[in-house]
Amino acid sequence: MTHEATQITSPTKPSEILLHLGPQHPLQPGPFLLDLKIEGETIREAELKIGYIHKGMEKVFEDRTYLQILPLTDRICYLASNSNNDVYCRGVEELLGIEPTERAKYLRVLTNELCRLQSHLLGIGEYATDVGFLTMFIYMVREREGVVSLLEAITGSRLNHNYARFGGVANDLPPGYKEMALKTLGELKKQVKSHDEMLSSDSIYLRRTKGVGVLTAKEAGELGVAGPPLRAAGVEYDLRRMEPYLVYDDLDFKVITQTDGDVFSRVKVRLLEILESIYIIEQCLDQMPSGPYKQDVTPYITRPKPGEVYARIEDPRGEMGMYIISDGSDKPYRFRIRGPAFATAQALPPLLVGGYVADVAAIAASMDSCTSEVDR
Amino acid sequence: MEEGGLGMGEIEAELPPNVTVTSASAIQEFIKNSPLQKIVNWGRKNSLWFMTHPMGCCGIEQICVGVAHYDTDRFGIIPRCSPRQADVMMISGYVSKKYLPALKRVWDQMLEPRWILMMGECAISGGPWWESYSTVTHLDEIFPVDIYIPGCPPRPEALLQGFIELQKKIVAEQDRTVIPNPADGGV
Amino acid sequence: MGDEKIDKTIMIELSNTFKDAVSDVDVPSPNRAVARIDPGKVKEIMQFLLDNGFDHLSCVSGVDYPPDKMEVVYHVTSYSAPLVITLKASLPRDDPNIDSLCGIYWNANWYERETYELYGIKFNDCPYMKVLLLIEEMEGEWPLRKDYAGYPDLT
Repeated sequence: MTHEATQITSPTKPSEILLHLGPQHPLQPGPFLLDLKIEGETIREAELKIGYIHKGMEKVFEDRTYLQILPLTDRICYLASNSNNDVYCRGVEELLGIEPTERAKYLRVLTNELCRLQSHLLGIGEYATDVGFLTMFIYMVREREGVVSLLEAITGSRLNHNYARFGGVANDLPPGYKEMALKTLGELKKQVKSHDEMLSSDSIYLRRTKGVGVLTAKEAGELGVAGPPLRAAGVEYDLRRMEPYLVYDDLDFKVITQTDGDVFSRVKVRLLEILESIYIIEQCLDQMPSGPYKQDVTPYITRPKPGEVYARIEDPRGEMGMYIISDGSDKPYRFRIRGPAFATAQALPPLLVGGYVADVAAIAASMDSCTSEVDR
Repeated sequence: MEEGGLGMGEIEAELPPNVTVTSASAIQEFIKNSPLQKIVNWGRKNSLWFMTHPMGCCGIEQICVGVAHYDTDRFGIIPRCSPRQADVMMISGYVSKKYLPALKRVWDQMLEPRWILMMGECAISGGPWWESYSTVTHLDEIFPVDIYIPGCPPRPEALLQGFIELQKKIVAEQDRTVIPNPADGGV
Repeated sequence: MGDEKIDKTIMIELSNTFKDAVSDVDVPSPNRAVARIDPGKVKEIMQFLLDNGFDHLSCVSGVDYPPDKMEVVYHVTSYSAPLVITLKASLPRDDPNIDSLCGIYWNANWYERETYELYGIKFNDCPYMKVLLLIEEMEGEWPLRKDYAGYPDLT
């Protein structure tokens, strides 16, 4: 892999033109500018320009106390807010030397997986609009509303849940939650299976996605991507399995992989992960121990000892890492967010080079990168 | 080339009796001051096509509100992907210094009458990132904003409420849209 | 991904191979390892790690320690093992520059550009050392340095 084709140079031949996509575009949530140099239908060079919603999060976080940062971690990537909460809390817990209660661990896994469900559902939905399959988008958002209601019942919010706390979670499950969840998830399982069948049998859709935007395992490793794009290429890289955190050790699940690494496989991985996540949630609801959902004493002002921690988690989009340096005060000295979408977005231009302009939407959307997290 | 070959005076001279010549701006002025404007406003309020322009967390709720579950279609509110086809722009997130010029251009591409909705704390005041080195606050000094929808992010119901308030404003002719005068070269 | 076992023994090998360049080796928890490296030897060390199965550069970040020190922190890990190695290279604050890793890990590019625009740490031979997230006018302000004057922005 070289860097040459990922920087736009001005056209040299009369048959080459520059095509700007963005920053306002209907491709994905969030603005970015994708510059393409095309010759006929073929993309010769591609460059992704980001930073349109850069918020300076890392600077803001250095100026907030540990507890004040907690709700802000939701906004790193709003579709994975529970994962972000969880990884941040695990980082600070490691610095403080405390451990969440057993029930809290299960509750965190439960909300993380619900979060994965709604993120994948919306991701597939948006992808479906981009390949011209609007029906699937409307179906997916319909299914997502059910999952969002489940999350809302626990956390009280549709988005940006702010659920995890240092050493526990914010509140317990509401009464009758298990029955409600099993009913919704049973319905969802049926629907997702039927959508999967629809997506695997439509000949037009298959011709549009099979063999398009192929990312082999070797290339994906070189480009540094993780998450569904990597698993679609056949690499079993899943931090839930490799570095089991919370209670993933006690749960039974398999890491979904596909072999082709094309657009079709990436979406297939997400669809199958939805089913796998539902299975994890069902186990969580069955095995969840009773007991306190938070520590009896949680320090109001958090002053960890000087030190540093790198915590990471399997986000819906890949590997989410947080590197926190504490200097003993109530604010972190340095807060670094290593987002999965940043790596995925960086890998997009090399994927596009050599392909057709008509495939840009399908490839970009199948990577499912979240601009808010890319820019931070 | 003959200068002023089709001057106003000549047309008037050739017109049959009982026909007067008027201009587009005069028609607009006439409609504005007559009950016809109420019909125009009724039409406008029931076809508030908004531009899907997600910029942050609020963008997700914006997507959700456009499809079946909340079904804004029953109010004539339909998502569109192009600024050329849209009447309403929602600023649904933090605007950075890098994005502001592009946002202004998108706003300029929209045809009048057009309205602007501020969705979420980030757009209204900067939200959690108000003191950051990269974000722009005080967007209301740059754009003529009609409706502010607070929340982080606002619920879809709040967004619907915002649209209904905008409809009320349009009916009451209290909205801030500027209809350009054709005499000034507008459309 | 080779067949070699990827675990903490790599740290011993690393400090044996680069006796002068690697110091303060520490293993704080089962899946984490920390070391301090000589900024002049960063390319050789990274190449050594890549050859030994650490094929995933997870993150590059800068840290500012005024008045005289800056650090570049690399997190290197593998697609087949959970060990994360944190490598820190100290640089002088008045002229921070270090060799780019773009030739070794492809994805170092954006991380280095980001560190450059936020901290002003120059990465030699990075193919495209320009601002990534900020507007071009802000190049040279280095907003994440501790003495940055533009924060809080109270306009």
